[in-house]
Amino acid sequence: MRCHRLISLLRIIFFSLVVVFNHTAVADGVVVDKVYHPYVLPNEREFEWRMLSHQNDDGNSLGHRLAYGQSLTEHLMIEVYLVGERDSTGDFGLSAYEVETRWMITEQGEYWADWGMLLEVEKEHKLDIWEVTTGLLFEKEFGRNSLALNAFLIYETGGDIESEFEGEFRLQYRYRWLPQVQPAIEFYMGEDYTGIGPAFMGIQRFEGQKQLKWEAGFITGLNGDSKDHILRVAIEYEF
Amino acid sequence: MVNVRSKFVQGVIVAFILLSLPSLAKRPEFQLILKNHLFYPAEIEIPANTKVKLIIHNQDQTPEEFDSFDLNREKVIFPQKKAVIFIGPLLPGRYEFFGEFNPNSAQGAIVVKSSKLNAKVNQNTLIDATALSSNSPDKPVTQQALVKELNRAD
Repeated sequence: MRCHRLISLLRIIFFSLVVVFNHTAVADGVVVDKVYHPYVLPNEREFEWRMLSHQNDDGNSLGHRLAYGQSLTEHLMIEVYLVGERDSTGDFGLSAYEVETRWMITEQGEYWADWGMLLEVEKEHKLDIWEVTTGLLFEKEFGRNSLALNAFLIYETGGDIESEFEGEFRLQYRYRWLPQVQPAIEFYMGEDYTGIGPAFMGIQRFEGQKQLKWEAGFITGLNGDSKDHILRVAIEYEF
Repeated sequence: MVNVRSKFVQGVIVAFILLSLPSLAKRPEFQLILKNHLFYPAEIEIPANTKVKLIIHNQDQTPEEFDSFDLNREKVIFPQKKAVIFIGPLLPGRYEFFGEFNPNSAQGAIVVKSSKLNAKVNQNTLIDATALSSNSPDKPVTQQALVKELNRAD
């Protein structure tokens, strides 16, 4: 019974995505951020910091994200972000705020692959620009290897932007070598950006539920620019 | 170009959703008890290349988090509740796990055997359940007896 409900749910999500992808462009701008995993643990709370440094022919741009997250149920997690960016004059300040929820649809390991869903609402600071993102999170284990895929549909709207739908795709292939060192390859695709590069991640456990997770990736753009590199770093403290 | 990319993303989603359709086949089940921050049995044998269902009964008054880097699993088990963890298919070997809240005492391992027969035989293997406060603490029980006892308790 639960299987049939799950299949129906996945069908609805899938067909919605297909219909919308048929009428949208993939996301413009840089899509490198983080490849999400479809898992949620109850009683989980976390602080997170993410940094993204983008170097291309036009110079360097820098973004930081600070977040607090907490699981609401066994399968649902909410995270609140403050986004800061360095502007064209070199000043660093608050640029946006965001609320994100992740829903673990299937139990880890129960089916051939694990599925989750993400819903994110972002508002630009001082601008009437809203961005709503939703999509599927997928993960499949092959022994000590894990393949994670994210397919997102983004809707941008507001008085300061022309409303449009966009699509975005992220992929991470990870080898779980040691808890502290897990090498990976990441791939990102949007309308004006396709990038690939190495990454690594790790985890250090402390007492109880306390643990520190880190991720770093160096993504090279495949858009033809002579220089197009992105360094991304994320640190998460769970407690 | 954009259209080609959209088709590519669609293709990937279709392929993985079709492959993810759940199997309705019944999976082998294995029971574990967590009591006094110890896993009983501390070691379980399962067949290689087979997905199995591990049911852990937390008989303690405090929560525990099943954690295993080897198995790539994390699962909170609430007090006086049971949790289901799906593991495998795995290659033969030893896969260790522990309880994150009591890592010094709550430890165990899944031993994956290459033949299904071995694992079936192991379901009848004697378990040292003397530390459990069962009705007959001095009498060793089998995995089958453990299942019966747990079913009665449910």
